Amino acid sequence: MKKRSLLIVIAVIAIVAAVWSFAMWHNPPRETLDQRVQDVASQLICPVCQGESVASSPATIAQQMRAVIRQQLQAGQSEAQVIQYFKARYGPQIVWTPQWQGFDLMAWLVPIALLLVGVVILFYVLRSWRAAVPTRDPPAAPAPGDDADAGAINRAPTDDVYREQLERELAAEDPIFAPRRTTGMEAR
Amino acid sequence: MHVSDIGVLSLVLALAFAFYTIITGILGARRRSPRLVESARRGVLAVAFFLITASLSLIVSFLIHDFGVAYVAHESNLAMPWYYTAAAFYGGQEGSLLYWGLMLSVFSAIFALTAKRAPAALVPYILVTLMCIETFFILMLLTVSSPFVRLPVAPADGIGLNPLLEDPGMLIHPPMLLMGYMSFSIPYAFAVAAMLSGKLNSDWLRSIRRWTLASWSIQTTGLVLGAWWAYHVLGWGGYWSWDPVENAALFPWLAATAFLHSTMVQERRGMLKVWNLFLIIAAFALSIFGTFEVRSGLISSVHSFAYSDIGGFFLAFLAIIVVFSTGLFIYRLPKMRPEQEFDSPVSREGAFLLNNLLLLGIIFATLWGTLFPLISQAFTHQTETVGPPFYNSVDGPLFLALILAMGLGPLLAWRRTSMRVLWRNLSVPALAAAACAIILPLFGVFNVWANVGFSVCAFTAGAVIYELWRGVRVRHKHGEAYHIALFTLIGRYRQRYGGYIVHLGLVALALGVIGSFFFQTQQDAVLKPGQTMSIVGYQFKYFGNYEETGSGTDTVKAILQVWSNGQYEGTVFPGRVFYQNFANQPVSLISITTYGLTDVYVYLADWTGASQATIRVFINPLVPLIWLGGLIMLIGGIICWWPEKRKRGTGAINRPLRAPQNTATREKREQAPAAPRVPILPAQQGDQEAIV
Repeated sequence: MKKRSLLIVIAVIAIVAAVWSFAMWHNPPRETLDQRVQDVASQLICPVCQGESVASSPATIAQQMRAVIRQQLQAGQSEAQVIQYFKARYGPQIVWTPQWQGFDLMAWLVPIALLLVGVVILFYVLRSWRAAVPTRDPPAAPAPGDDADAGAINRAPTDDVYREQLERELAAEDPIFAPRRTTGMEAR
Repeated sequence: MHVSDIGVLSLVLALAFAFYTIITGILGARRRSPRLVESARRGVLAVAFFLITASLSLIVSFLIHDFGVAYVAHESNLAMPWYYTAAAFYGGQEGSLLYWGLMLSVFSAIFALTAKRAPAALVPYILVTLMCIETFFILMLLTVSSPFVRLPVAPADGIGLNPLLEDPGMLIHPPMLLMGYMSFSIPYAFAVAAMLSGKLNSDWLRSIRRWTLASWSIQTTGLVLGAWWAYHVLGWGGYWSWDPVENAALFPWLAATAFLHSTMVQERRGMLKVWNLFLIIAAFALSIFGTFEVRSGLISSVHSFAYSDIGGFFLAFLAIIVVFSTGLFIYRLPKMRPEQEFDSPVSREGAFLLNNLLLLGIIFATLWGTLFPLISQAFTHQTETVGPPFYNSVDGPLFLALILAMGLGPLLAWRRTSMRVLWRNLSVPALAAAACAIILPLFGVFNVWANVGFSVCAFTAGAVIYELWRGVRVRHKHGEAYHIALFTLIGRYRQRYGGYIVHLGLVALALGVIGSFFFQTQQDAVLKPGQTMSIVGYQFKYFGNYEETGSGTDTVKAILQVWSNGQYEGTVFPGRVFYQNFANQPVSLISITTYGLTDVYVYLADWTGASQATIRVFINPLVPLIWLGGLIMLIGGIICWWPEKRKRGTGAINRPLRAPQNTATREKREQAPAAPRVPILPAQQGDQEAIV
């Protein structure tokens, strides 16, 4: 029984992985020249507009820039080279996104680093919280709640287990009612 | 005497009453005098009254076209229809500050009127905090940024609102968003009151939750409306451009979202006390930061309609808030003994922690990107630009992970979840996701990231709908029809199911974002009459341009027939409107037609005479889902927020709310060892059982 469900999981994961990797290989993104022009243009800022990229701006200069990008790409330049060309002509402000070099790297690395720091902090905080628990509920021993849960599942059909869980949660759900609930208990 | 003089007078009186409230409030709290607190409470009502009077006098000045008032002369003219003239009230900087102050005073008054529900010890401190914020705004309005300044000579006509603002969006988006910004003051005041009074148990959190939910719903509406407005007016085919000002509006929303989730952990498990205080302070500080950023012109933005020198004052105010809150926070830190007992990361609280981490990650990444131009300027003397591609590639995956966590959360139980239960709960949504991943390529979706995104959405939607379905099925087995079961389920446990509805709305919104981000197609063409352009199955036949003259406006429109795969669909008229006073700023009339879930977005980019036009067409798949999702989120927010009937109610509505809870707790206590079979009974039966 357990083995069969495991096999199903593996099969499903394998199929999904196959589909995703097939899509990845089958359809290399940004193939056509139009798309490459669009790709480069969307990384450049339209110099005369406010907050629009060369790709999306209808301004004349943006149209001309798109034509230049097309020419250069057709001439065999790489996308990075074209961007470099515009950067040399119009200054670094023309580029819409920070590049992966120099000080600009900070723009990318800092958020990633902060996120990792957050994960690490969370990990340690959780560990210290769990370390604080043992007086009440030693985590090393098989957790009693777990067993009760599993036992309940074995005995009762899914619906009942679910209903029980739902009821338990709903009961404790709304703290607005919590004081009243206790008074109700006292009254009884 | 002019109407505007009444405004000045009212502001002065409002300031006086704000001071009065602050002093009596502090005295009342110190001396524990209910009479002084009561007096402070009425002081708040007086402040609200005078700010309403001041705002009314400004609106009246607008409506009677009193161009002697500089602000009126600048923001309105005789040609504007009355509703835009009245909306010009918040169209400029001075008026929008007055609106901020007005809304703060109105919300404070609502709080003052319902103060009985809040913990009594906190009330005076809350009133004082609110009035301190209010004082800042009134002082600004009386000194550096007064909307009531009069001109020596009144012009015959005013300049008028920027034509971009003369749009139905103007009537709802700015007031909603500003109200959203402002409304974070109330939770902040609660937090400050809790810290000042030292009553740091969960009482303040309970009272705060509905206020925060209200703020959150207002801000959600404001943001979605802003996106909708941009989409309909700006003509670049998108709805969100990661502009600094847009980001600024997103920050408090994200912080409030994190707060709403982490409070649940504190309420249920007593954890995260310090963290929740931090989040609510951050939400308020970020909303002041947003207000500051919009007005300072510090970072270049499309929204900088109001450059001025008041940025410095806002920065000072922000600094005071941050220093004061941090000081108070550190001072009270020893008192906040955590009472947490954390069992397992595979639990509901674990999912909430993940949610908070991701939301904070998004805030930091976005804030970093927003400020990076300044930072790079300081370090390298080159102002780098950080545009949408940066945010898309940094925030996109984080949002996707957030949506995944959103689906996982409800599947996990509090404290810990055993693998068996987890597997059982997980299987249905996981299968939905797998099915989505496999089916999509058959429909021509080959982009891997889009596929991953859609599959994650399918997972979360599957999880939420499965949860709803199971709840409904349990009730159905006890004799309720499905639709009634659904309604009673949602109606009774509004917090829980309202939250699920919000999640469903967000999934719909995410589908729209993913669809339009990956599959938007765009085409430009210069057309002469009779010529056709075609783009992914749609053809557009051009017939020429025509002009219309209205009151104060000139309009140019192009005529295009839309054909879809050889079938005639309709005629569209994209155009431009020229306003008299702003002849060099024509406003676009964009034609957006929705076919199923796809928007056909036609924009007149340029034209020559009557017989040539540059037409830009975007095909935006799934964009309508964004507006639908926003609407669902608002509805879910309102369901969560909707007040529970209090004791005064008929009782019949009141009791059933408690009944199943009572039975559940009782049964749990009494027959804990056995697997309890607790029926969820229809209302009347539940009632009787509770009474018996």
